[in-house]
Amino acid sequence: MAFTYSKLAEVTVGASSVSSITINNIPQNYTDLKLVYSGRNSAAGAGIDLYISFNGSTANLTVKRIHGTGSSVASYSGTTGDIGVDDGASQTVSTFSNMEVYIPNYTSSTSKSYSADAVQENNATGAYAQLSAGLWSNNTAITSITLTPYSGSIVQYTTVTLYGVKAEV
Amino acid sequence: MAITKISNSGVNGSKYDIVSADNYYMEPIATTLVGVGGASAVTFSNIPNTYKHLQVRGIATFASGTNAIILQANGDTGSNYAWHQMYGTGSSAGSNGATSTATANISVASVSGTVGVFVTDILDYANTSKYKTYKSLTGYDNNGSGVIAMRSVLWMNTGAVTSLSLKFDTGVNFAQNTRFSLYGIRG
Repeated sequence: MAFTYSKLAEVTVGASSVSSITINNIPQNYTDLKLVYSGRNSAAGAGIDLYISFNGSTANLTVKRIHGTGSSVASYSGTTGDIGVDDGASQTVSTFSNMEVYIPNYTSSTSKSYSADAVQENNATGAYAQLSAGLWSNNTAITSITLTPYSGSIVQYTTVTLYGVKAEV
Repeated sequence: MAITKISNSGVNGSKYDIVSADNYYMEPIATTLVGVGGASAVTFSNIPNTYKHLQVRGIATFASGTNAIILQANGDTGSNYAWHQMYGTGSSAGSNGATSTATANISVASVSGTVGVFVTDILDYANTSKYKTYKSLTGYDNNGSGVIAMRSVLWMNTGAVTSLSLKFDTGVNFAQNTRFSLYGIRG
C-alpha cells in the first residue's frame, strides 16, 4: 500500500524578520521531501533570490534554472541552491511568493537532486516565474534544510511547510 | 470522528494489517463534471477555511475560438488581479503579463478542438494578512501547435478565499466533459 504525505514541520515568521529559516531533525523514515513556501523579503529590490541548502552547508550546490521576468525569458547555471524569487519591499504590498521544492530520496547515500517551481507576483510588468533543477553533491542523508535570501530578511507572515512522502516497498 | 492514528503496540499474534493513518495531506473538497448542456461558469462555494492551501485541477474543452480560463475569487470580477507567465510554444519562449485586470488567467489560451489542462496552487488562501498568489502549470498540445506555461495570478485582496469561479475569458461555454476539482491541502 502506498502512503502519501505527512506534515513534518511548519514555520511562520513572526513580527521580527529573520535572516534565514532552518528546519532541523528531519525524520529519516520517509522516501521524499516536499517543501511549500510562501514568502516576502525586506530588501528594496525587484525580487530577491531565495536559496536552499542542506545540513548547514552551502558547499557542493549547483543549479540550472529557466525564468521569465514578465517581459523576457532566460536560462541560468550557477553554484547555489537557487529555488525562486521573493517579493521585495518595493513591490506590491501584501504580496508573497509561491514556491514548491521536491527532494526525492533524501536519505540516500548518493548525491541529492531537487526540483523547484516558483512564482512571484507584482502588479507591474516585472514578476518572476522560475523552474529550477538543483544538485547537492553530498552522499550524506539530509537532516536539515535552510532557506536563505540573497539579501535582506524574510518578513512576517512568511510560511514554510515541510512534508514527508512515504512509499511502502 | 476521523481516525488519525493507528498503532499495533501491544497487539499479540502475527496477523494484522498495517494501515496508514497519516495520509491526510490532500483531501477532495468538490468536483464538477460539465454535462451535455455545457456551462458558462463553474463555482466552488463555501470553501472551508480549515486547510492550509488549496489546489484546483482542471481539464477543459469548448466548441470554438481561442480561450483561456480565468479563476476569480469570492465573486470579485473587478480589475483586482495581475497575472504573468513564462511560456514555450515548441519553437519559441517568452514571458508577459497584465496588471490591474479582471482576467485572472490560470491557463494558456487553447484553440478549439484541443483540451487544455492546468494545476493551480493557492498558498495560505485563508490568511487575512496576505494577498493571494496562485501558481499554475498549464498547457495544451494540438498535434502541431501547442503551448506550455507556468503562470501566476495575484488577487489583490487579503480576504480569505471562500469561493472560486472558473470561466473562459471570452465568455464561451465550457463543453461537456470539462472537469474541475478542488482539493484542500493540510498544513
